[in-house]
Amino acid sequence: MIRFIIKRLLLGLFVLAGVSVITFTVARVVPSDPAARWVGPRANAEQIAAARIELGLDKPLPQQYITYMKGLFTGDWGTSIRTHQPVLRELLSFLPSSLELILAGMLIAVVIGIPLGVISAVKKDSWIDQLTRTFSVGGVSIPTFWLGLILQLVFFRQLSLFPLGERVSTNTSLLYPIDNWTGFYLLDSLLQGNFDFFKDAALHLVLPALTMAAYPLGLVIRMIRSSMIDVLGEEHIRVLKAYGIPAWRRVFVYGLKNALGPTATSLGLTFAYALTSTFLIEAVFSWPGLGMYASQAILANDYPVTMAITFLVTVTYILINLLVDVVVAMLDPRIKLYQNA
Amino acid sequence: MNSNSLPAPLPPVIEETSAGRAYKLKEFILFLRVHKLAAIGLSIIVILLIIAVIGPLISPYPDDAYKAVHLENKLLPPSWAHLFGTDELGRDLLTRTIYGTRLSFQIGISVILLSILIGIPYGLISGYFGGWVDNVMMRVCEVFLSFPSMLLSISIVALLGPSLNNMMLSIALSWWPWFARLMRSEAVAIKERGFVEAAKSMGVHPLVIIFRHIWPNSLSVIIVQISMAFGSVILTAASLSFLGLGAQPPTPEWGLIISTGRAYFLTNWWYVTFPGVFILLTVMAFNFLGDGLRDYLDPKTRNS
Amino acid sequence: MMKKRSRNTLLLLMLSVMLVLSACGSKGNTTAANTGSNTGSNTGSNTSSGNAPKGGIAVYSVNSDVMTFWDPSDSFSNEIIAMHNMYETLLRYNAQTKTFDKVLAEDYSKSADGLTWTFKLRKGIKFHTGAELSADLVKKSIERTIKRGKGASYIWESVKEINVVDQYTVEFKLKYAEALDNVVSAGYSAFIFDADALDKNGEDWINEGHDVGSGPYTVQKWTKGSDLVLTSYPEYWKGWTPKNFEKVVFKTTPEANTRQQQLEAGEVDITNQLTPEMLKSLDGKPGVQVLKTEAFQNLTLQMNTLKAPFNNPKARQALAYALNYDSIVKDIMGGMAEQSTGYLPKGLWGQDSSLFKYSYNPDKAKELLKEAGVSGGKLSITYLSGDEAERQVAELLKVELAKVGLDLEIKGMTWDAQWDLAKSPDASQRQDLFLLYYWSGYSDPYGYLSIAYKTENPIVYNLGYYSNPKFDSLIDQARKSAGSNRDGATALYKQAQEILINDAPGISIFDLKYGYALRDNFKGFSSNPYYANVVFFYDTYRE
Repeated sequence: MIRFIIKRLLLGLFVLAGVSVITFTVARVVPSDPAARWVGPRANAEQIAAARIELGLDKPLPQQYITYMKGLFTGDWGTSIRTHQPVLRELLSFLPSSLELILAGMLIAVVIGIPLGVISAVKKDSWIDQLTRTFSVGGVSIPTFWLGLILQLVFFRQLSLFPLGERVSTNTSLLYPIDNWTGFYLLDSLLQGNFDFFKDAALHLVLPALTMAAYPLGLVIRMIRSSMIDVLGEEHIRVLKAYGIPAWRRVFVYGLKNALGPTATSLGLTFAYALTSTFLIEAVFSWPGLGMYASQAILANDYPVTMAITFLVTVTYILINLLVDVVVAMLDPRIKLYQNA
Repeated sequence: MNSNSLPAPLPPVIEETSAGRAYKLKEFILFLRVHKLAAIGLSIIVILLIIAVIGPLISPYPDDAYKAVHLENKLLPPSWAHLFGTDELGRDLLTRTIYGTRLSFQIGISVILLSILIGIPYGLISGYFGGWVDNVMMRVCEVFLSFPSMLLSISIVALLGPSLNNMMLSIALSWWPWFARLMRSEAVAIKERGFVEAAKSMGVHPLVIIFRHIWPNSLSVIIVQISMAFGSVILTAASLSFLGLGAQPPTPEWGLIISTGRAYFLTNWWYVTFPGVFILLTVMAFNFLGDGLRDYLDPKTRNS
Repeated sequence: MMKKRSRNTLLLLMLSVMLVLSACGSKGNTTAANTGSNTGSNTGSNTSSGNAPKGGIAVYSVNSDVMTFWDPSDSFSNEIIAMHNMYETLLRYNAQTKTFDKVLAEDYSKSADGLTWTFKLRKGIKFHTGAELSADLVKKSIERTIKRGKGASYIWESVKEINVVDQYTVEFKLKYAEALDNVVSAGYSAFIFDADALDKNGEDWINEGHDVGSGPYTVQKWTKGSDLVLTSYPEYWKGWTPKNFEKVVFKTTPEANTRQQQLEAGEVDITNQLTPEMLKSLDGKPGVQVLKTEAFQNLTLQMNTLKAPFNNPKARQALAYALNYDSIVKDIMGGMAEQSTGYLPKGLWGQDSSLFKYSYNPDKAKELLKEAGVSGGKLSITYLSGDEAERQVAELLKVELAKVGLDLEIKGMTWDAQWDLAKSPDASQRQDLFLLYYWSGYSDPYGYLSIAYKTENPIVYNLGYYSNPKFDSLIDQARKSAGSNRDGATALYKQAQEILINDAPGISIFDLKYGYALRDNFKGFSSNPYYANVVFFYDTYRE
């Protein structure tokens, strides 16, 4: 187990090095001059030259890369060219908002997806199975940005049930302000006993979270369904039937337990996907999060931010992959990890 | 699997038998009968493909695709004259959606072709030669796979400037490793088999072995992968265009139409609705077909 | 708090003496008349119960993050909408009276040759840092801004030296007779602040969300990407009335639909940058008021004058005839614009409505292109991605150009990206056409005409690479005499514009009008084109 984890981490480091080299090169060969951007439009040549030295841009590219990577591991993630703010601080301030959205979406996916997947598997090939499968394929096929807009049309414009966007309404944040402890609005307001804020933030979360949920939901249904079908056909489940264990127990306790592994895998993998779908969903719902921050920075060639975002997402991706494999191994002793690597 | 951030399924290899084409066709029809969703998917694809091909002939106002504006017809709701309504420059949205179909298929085909052109030779070489070549090549591949594809695409487009071609290039760059990896595992599996071993021992040139034996034997797997990828590519293209990184106005690209429509959609519901339905239908159709094909080509699920 | 109160009692005593001695009600504000404390230079009348702001919280929803730069010297962006509530300038332009209101300066005068300007400061004004306004800090503020050379610091170009005459008198020596009242009242880079405190606390401190101004409001909390909360500064020198807002919130809401919804729901008091369609649908809704105001901002089509076909003035003129101005103003802008006359925005001095105006004439355009020897080819245009007006104008232009056989490729880009493209070293790589809004660092004809068309090296905003020594010398001459001879300068600016109209290095398509949507009980706001999008919240209140 330990050997496996170390091996995977080493591979992860290799990948990270590759990704960072690619991003660094891509970000730095763009025709724009970060030093000129840094000092602003009216700067003279001397000021630009001074800024170039200040930002370390006068050094050869490989040396810049090494300096940058050193900083990454010591907590100095550089300074945004656009806002002149430390990148790490900015990232951390936007991260909780995106995480809240992603986790809410995942939760919806699991809560709805597992029962639907089970039903679909148990009633294989019935009309309800066909419908659920259509629904599941729809979930992975629907353009998230469009789903968001349609939800806004229906639930905001037509039914006036949910707000159009943002994390919390202005009135609430002014009348019932909360202290920023974790940056997760729901958690913070609960911890502080501020239920007005909690309610409002929860209302605001519904539509974006549903939009976020579509893709993982489709995936969960599919994974649960197919692994349940496999599991239910297996010998030991059939033996349980012979022992007279009731059907619901066979399905939900024995069957589902074995189906959770693959589902956890797919959910974990979806997480990285979700990080990039924040680009779209946050744009649609005016959600001040990482996706919005990142897309603005990338489009403005703000390379320290681009680097940091890529780094962050890649690390998340690698760690989650690892975590998923470990969890799966724990859930299902039949899998031996070193074979996997 | 719809996301290009997810590992592609690896259907087991089926051996090429000597069975005749007629038999295969019959079997395929039987397959469509059993897999209703795949049949539905295939028919939607065929219909959309027809729309795409004869688009200019059936569009009510072909000029509205690129060449005209009619400010006097600004934002009209759906009517007999304009079934899908009009946009803020008075253009017929049905026409633009039809042209969008055409464009989406063009994007899908170009991107997949490009990914295959890079990925397949890459995977074949890696898998055939094995050893350290394989090791290095696959690690490079993994670097690309670990890179969130959307982020990669956005960065590349930000570097090259937003345009349809740059967008297609950037999507292909995130897709080729999937084909490479798939092709490699196929090559490794087939390489071990008797007829390849035999060819090798007879001193046949590696290139001949690769293209005469390994490549044809993995065709079916590639086809499944293509049908899975196609929908995803269209979806990614629409997403990038939605963010302003793909097609540029007045190109009638679905994602771009929806992106523009955002400024108007709350009071003009039709604007974003129809192009979105078309994206959903197209992507779903390809996923249905891909799922079905995978089951069909996978002997395990096929018999169950 | 206790300590302050006892000191304030003393100050109140002193104040009453001062009120008797000098009738310093220079503001001419009618609401000020009944509450004596609202005038002149008091510093500590706030804690007495009647004179605290009790108007609640005002919310302004804006389309992009309010704060880009926190340093008052560097500001050159959206943040002025908040900064003008945190910082003040010596003078402020009054759009109604067309004169300058005295803010930090109590009075000012200039010498006959227009080369020496003397400003008398109000006494007893306190910065939020606690320091008192003095001639020394005025000098330090402006010199710091000049030295940093960022933002719109170029507005101070005419200043040779700044002298501290006494504690409350500051004198500017100029290199040439510029209209300095225009400069000291500028929207950017003219803030007076506690330069000592700023330098002492450093850049990181200010960037965390602090201010060193003297304005009515000071920073309470800043949540990047979300909102900025300002709170009233108790010791603000103009004093407070119960009607005043206690807090002001600038809320970042990029999506126009959401801003519209916030306003309809009464969640915000005022918002802007809505599409003409949205303004139309909001107009007449209960509780909502739509304001259409002049703005010193024009949409300009800049042409690459170094590259064929637009290195030929005939081809450029052809383009000026190919634009359907009426349709753009009416159908695309929904009346939120007016075709430009000349190159200066309407309402700015120097603007002349007798200048020649191009009109839509496709035949003439075709003819001119033929004369220029242009028969076909591919052109590129860039616009700010997300800007509906620019995109639609570009699409309209594409249709028009297609009629004469030119294929126009449209590209939506971020500002930085298209700006970089326009400045690429190889002229052939630059876009042929560039749609952008021009406004000026300070509202002076020179600012407008020089920013886009004066010979520049290296290029900053003259993105058509236009260079005409005759034009340059005309506007320089006008600038240098504006401080002493306004009429002469006006005539020179007219001549300069005539050159541009004939040469057409760029086309001013329309003067933009700003559309504000506000709650109808939000009073006291009047838009001031000198300070784009700024709401001076001290003047506003809720009914």
